Amino acid sequence: MSAGSRLENANPVIFQRSGERLLTASEEDEDVHDPIDDREIFDLIRSINDPEHPLSLEELNVVEQVRVKVNDAESTVSVEFTPTIPHCSMATLIGLSIKVKLLRALPDRFKTDVHITPGTHASEEAVNKQLADKERVAAALENSSLLEVVNQCLSTRKI
Amino acid sequence: MKETLSLVQKLSAHPDSRCWFVSWNPSGTLLASCGGDKAIRIWGREGDSWICKSVLQDGHQRTVRKVAWSPCGNYLASASFDATTCIWKKKNNDFESLTVLEGHENEVKCVAWAPSGNLLATCSRDKSVWVWEVDEDDEYECVTVINSHTQDVKHVVWHPTQELLASASYDNNICIYKEEDDDWECRATLTGHTSTVWSLSFDAKGQRLASCSDDRTVKIWMEGSESRQSDVSWKCVCTLSGFHGRTVYDVAWCPLTGALATACGDDGVRVFREDESADPQQPLFSLAAQVTKAHNQDVNCVSWNPKEPGLLASCSDDGEIAIWKFHEED
Amino acid sequence: MAADTTTLVSLVEEFVSGLQDNKARDIATAVKDGKFTVLQLVEALGHSLTSSQPHTRARGVQLLSDVLQECYANLTEKEVTVLISFYENRLKDHYVVTPPVLHGLRALTKCTALPSGSAVSMLRSLFQDVHVQSLMLAERSCVYNMLINLMETRESELKGLGADFVFGFVQSMDGERDPRNLLLAFQIAKSIIHRGYDLGKFTEELFEVTSCYFPIDFTPPPSDPHGITKDELIQALRAVLTGTPKFAEFLLPLLIEKLDSDVQSAKLDSLQTLTSCVSQYEHKDLAEFLEGLWVSLRREVFQTPSEKIESAGLTALTALTSCLSRSVLNSESEDTLSTFLDLVLKDCKHHLCEPDLKLVWPSTKLLQAACGASNRASHIITAAVMPSLIEQYNNRTQCSHRRTLLEVIQRFIQSVKSSQPSESEETVFGAFRQSLCGIVFSALSETNSSLQIVATSVLTSLAQQAGLLLDSDVELAVDHLTRLLLTEEDDRVSLAVVECAGSLAELHPTVFITKLIPRLKTEIFAEPMEQDNNNREASELHSHHAMRQRCLSALAAISTQPSVVHESTPVILEVLSSAHTGSVIFTVEEVVLACHSLQRIAEHVEDTEESGQCFHGVVIPRMLSLALQAALQGEGSTGCHSPLAEEKVLTAMVPVISTSCSRLQPMLAAQTASKAVSLFLDADVSFLPNNSFPANIHLLKAHNVFQKQHEGSWTQSQMVCLLIGCVCSLPRNVEVPQIDHLLSQLEDMSCTCGHLLSYTSAAKCFAALVNKRSQGDSLDTVIQRTMKRVCGELDSTSSPVRLQAFTLMVWVAKALLLRYHPLSTTMTDKLFSLLDDAELGLMAAEGFSLLMSDSDDVLNRASHADVRIMYRQRFFSENSAKLVEGFNAAPQEKKANYLKALSNIVNKLPKEVQVTELPALLSLLLEALSCSDQGVQLSTLSCLEPVLIDPPPALIQQLEALVSRLLVLIGSSAMNVRIAALRCIRALSGFPAHEILPFRARVLRALAQPLDDKKRLVRSEAVQARGEWFLLGSPGGR
Repeated sequence: MSAGSRLENANPVIFQRSGERLLTASEEDEDVHDPIDDREIFDLIRSINDPEHPLSLEELNVVEQVRVKVNDAESTVSVEFTPTIPHCSMATLIGLSIKVKLLRALPDRFKTDVHITPGTHASEEAVNKQLADKERVAAALENSSLLEVVNQCLSTRKI
Repeated sequence: MKETLSLVQKLSAHPDSRCWFVSWNPSGTLLASCGGDKAIRIWGREGDSWICKSVLQDGHQRTVRKVAWSPCGNYLASASFDATTCIWKKKNNDFESLTVLEGHENEVKCVAWAPSGNLLATCSRDKSVWVWEVDEDDEYECVTVINSHTQDVKHVVWHPTQELLASASYDNNICIYKEEDDDWECRATLTGHTSTVWSLSFDAKGQRLASCSDDRTVKIWMEGSESRQSDVSWKCVCTLSGFHGRTVYDVAWCPLTGALATACGDDGVRVFREDESADPQQPLFSLAAQVTKAHNQDVNCVSWNPKEPGLLASCSDDGEIAIWKFHEED
Repeated sequence: MAADTTTLVSLVEEFVSGLQDNKARDIATAVKDGKFTVLQLVEALGHSLTSSQPHTRARGVQLLSDVLQECYANLTEKEVTVLISFYENRLKDHYVVTPPVLHGLRALTKCTALPSGSAVSMLRSLFQDVHVQSLMLAERSCVYNMLINLMETRESELKGLGADFVFGFVQSMDGERDPRNLLLAFQIAKSIIHRGYDLGKFTEELFEVTSCYFPIDFTPPPSDPHGITKDELIQALRAVLTGTPKFAEFLLPLLIEKLDSDVQSAKLDSLQTLTSCVSQYEHKDLAEFLEGLWVSLRREVFQTPSEKIESAGLTALTALTSCLSRSVLNSESEDTLSTFLDLVLKDCKHHLCEPDLKLVWPSTKLLQAACGASNRASHIITAAVMPSLIEQYNNRTQCSHRRTLLEVIQRFIQSVKSSQPSESEETVFGAFRQSLCGIVFSALSETNSSLQIVATSVLTSLAQQAGLLLDSDVELAVDHLTRLLLTEEDDRVSLAVVECAGSLAELHPTVFITKLIPRLKTEIFAEPMEQDNNNREASELHSHHAMRQRCLSALAAISTQPSVVHESTPVILEVLSSAHTGSVIFTVEEVVLACHSLQRIAEHVEDTEESGQCFHGVVIPRMLSLALQAALQGEGSTGCHSPLAEEKVLTAMVPVISTSCSRLQPMLAAQTASKAVSLFLDADVSFLPNNSFPANIHLLKAHNVFQKQHEGSWTQSQMVCLLIGCVCSLPRNVEVPQIDHLLSQLEDMSCTCGHLLSYTSAAKCFAALVNKRSQGDSLDTVIQRTMKRVCGELDSTSSPVRLQAFTLMVWVAKALLLRYHPLSTTMTDKLFSLLDDAELGLMAAEGFSLLMSDSDDVLNRASHADVRIMYRQRFFSENSAKLVEGFNAAPQEKKANYLKALSNIVNKLPKEVQVTELPALLSLLLEALSCSDQGVQLSTLSCLEPVLIDPPPALIQQLEALVSRLLVLIGSSAMNVRIAALRCIRALSGFPAHEILPFRARVLRALAQPLDDKKRLVRSEAVQARGEWFLLGSPGGR
């Protein structure tokens, strides 16, 4: 963030982070199969950095566990995210970061759909259509300046 | 008489990357593939199996999205996200880069040769379709830039016999172009799909056009009989819905058998047969065969061999090519 | 003399014409030896110095300067005077002559015989005749060194030059670009400022000529031979810029400007420079810039995504506020502190009313940074914010809002902690005491656990504000804590409550003695509901147990003051005795918890006569007595079993005793030891309370494997573990009575007893005593005797006590190894040889883990064992070759034992040693990764992982092998191995990018598989590893 530029939303509402998932005995048991569940997917995306604020998507309530749906047996994941303001120009970038994170972190059998929470963004349909177009996503990720921002969102923050 | 798709061979074509497209040469002896690894591979049959004959690298800086053979089979055109189209010339068993067509502002998404071999069409995310003319000295010249779509143009395809061009777009529409007084114009806009149209295919005679879309349907369009001289009019005569679980990325009409194959984002490859008894104005298609897990990931392309009936190639995001045989069950 | 002169002339000739540089050294030696004088040299140089060729003149001067460089110390004042006037004159000569002239002058500045006035004249000539920045690097450095030398020795003369000196320096350094010279120039500037040179009208010039380098932007070239770092330059320049308030009017606007920069390092440097300069300033230096500074600071803290910048900004604000607080108020001048704090409050206070928005935290941090700066600032800020925070808290209904507000309040209270007010003044929070207590107590009564937890820490902070809480407040607080201890089931809350009780008890012991302890006692001894076999009862039983557990840990937490301990320990001891008699039912776990509590008290109580008496005089005898009663009762085999005969309970008692013996009152500990020895050797029970014991006590003579003994005798023999507590953790100067007899009994027991706890404890006890026994023949005799016995048993494969002998050997080996005893090798060699043993091979491999790791009961520093530093390294370097040889020679099926031993040893080595030793062992470790034993794989992986964080070059050369083996292991059937392998692969991603990029595609492909592992824990490691590898070589990644 350069000093001169202004943030679109300088004082956003901050939400509490959920604690670490508690370890259960069955997770430590070699023989039990742990299905991939909503919380596991949520854990993948909640720590993604917001492109503008030194905060995670979870702290800005952009992602919530209730808006994550996974069906392990059918290999489908659907995530809805909520931009902090309806005209947020970062919506596509945030969606792309979520999409890329899931592509990198999930087995490739999964079909992932990333959408804006209905009714929360002015260009909801356009953004959804872009995120669903894998050709555009592939081309975007070959654009090094865009990939740089996405990678920063996906990096463990160390400044 | 039940028909089925059986796997002939799987090829790891573009490892650690996706395979976007496959294309047979006109004699059906070679298959070209391209992908996210920026490479083009040429496959040929040796004994019972298909093997990689050559790799065309260093032509493109980014993903190679589509490849197309010239009708004579001596040239190969490749369209890339690096905004260029490359023309390769076949020399003995190798290919050399002949020329690079530049002009599109960004990703070139498709390239196609006209049946005469004198014209080449390209389309891009810059919303335009370009037509290039080729002379005897292998010189290429852009003759027209058409901006009929409002969003990126995903696919272009030529009519099998006439100089008629069709394009499919992210704006959900299909456009049909014809040359008029040295200029190419959009003569018809086919609306009906409710999301991105990914691909198009003419039937053998060119009377009908199949389109496939992100709306999970395939539509069959037919040229209207009325007002034939000047205006072109196409109407949707059939919609195949309920068969596909996700985006349909490609559709291919076999020029030899009339079978219609689709490539789908639900990992499946399907073949449809037309009910020959139905009214040609209201055709009926039924699912003849399908492989639901044809690939491990999205199927991007299906392509019928132009000489060997029932031989089908498909390719996928998992980087693999599959060769199938569509035949009657034993 | 004439002959010498001839020699001199010829030497000069050779130097000047033939470019024979070494002749200068010959001449210098001759001058030092008194063969010539310097003036003779000048004479001999005559021709060259007057030559019409500038280069010849330069060569002549160079010879003279080279010689002076060697022998400036021997010059007389007269010689110096002549030389200076010669050199000053030469400064006007051709430019090629200037460099050697400067070298000569520099040598002269080091003369002790420098006549007065010559420093000034030298500098005047220098400033007048030389344009420093047209000189080459080395000559510029020469000039700076001249200045530094003269400033060192001729300060008063230079000051006589007045501002001309400063002006001369400013002109000399103006435009300097070389970092080495800049360090010198900054050093001079710093001395000018700090030693009070007259800046005259050149203050701004001096500032300009140095501040133009701010902020320092310098990246040393790779493999820089000079080793100058950016940080050195930053520090040197900062010392100049912040050195005097005279620079304030120039520096502050500059800092405000640079804070607006896009470059993070410039912001950071500006903030740190600001912090540093305000420590020199007074409020009047700052006044006109306060608003600008505040705007910049606020912007940085509000907007930065960097924690470094935020914390530097907050530190600067604290420094600024402290500076303003130092100013003495007089009636006319305006109070700059309150003016400034008004600005801060105006911009931040309203954000405190929006506890769900982002800026609440930056605002809190800013206010708190100002608040902590001084007592006056604390008063102003708290007076402004506390009423509204309190009001907010009371009006808000959402728990998350109230929690944030409470956390904000907590930060304010903590920020004031560091600045205690003097007695006369009112405490900062005095006015808010009542409302704050009200808030805390109401929050403690909420059902929201995070609110309760924050409330406990606010309560702790309030209690730590000296003189704030009234006795009645503390009493009320104790009531709340008691209620929560008895009823709150959330573990996190009860942990917080226990911790809070601990802190409060340290400050207000009496309330805890009179209120909390009696109440907890009643509750602990209240019987749970009558037992009934339905579920409701079971859950009540469970919650009763949890309540007892909380009470016991609270009793431990509050017991740091001896007066509290005096009241709390009897309650816990009563738990033990009631458990033993069965008068109140306690489970084994509860008894163990009671022991843990006693242990914690022994660890934390202040070491006083009173507390020592309590443990040595009461707790230990009581525990021994109860344990003995339980043991004898067990022998009676009436079926009625006291929990105090349980192994778990006994093992929990040991640390209570050993902690008391190691840290409380050595005199009393010696008595405890002596009584215990009498008890164990002579059955002397006189010191035990309720000592009506039968006569047949034989604590160290029990349960021989050869004899069929009656059933319960191990209940007596296992009591030997309590003996460990009494005699093994004493300070080394405390004597253990009857030591030889004791050792022989212990050896006997450890070699013959068939009961695991008994023989192991006896072995440990023996080893711990041997470790502390003083060097000498008697010790050697004991060791040799034991060794003989042990080897005898081990060598006879049919011996029924091989295991016992092995156990004793490993412990004694450890005892000797720790103190570098020469006989330790015999023991460890025996251990190596056992790696091939069919029966004991695997245990021998594990034995190395015991040798190398810290044991928690005996043979550690806490129990005053003789532990030499770096014994592990020493053992490793002496034995690694044996291990490698042994591995190579071993039959295939035994190799795994060697690898396991190796990984057990390497695992425990300090990181630095691992890194240096790794090259030699790498092939073996890689082998170990391919070993089919999962234990070996796991321990090798866990030893590799930390090494991978900062990989040694040897490892990088073996990357291919390492990567291949790791990728195989991520497909292991054991999830722990998969997890450990994935962690290693993740660590690999931190290697130098060019080394690992070739593996990227392969690793990413291989990591796709574990993303779909059936175990979530494996998937989560795979996700992290894959994420890092994706970022590798990718823009914005790494």
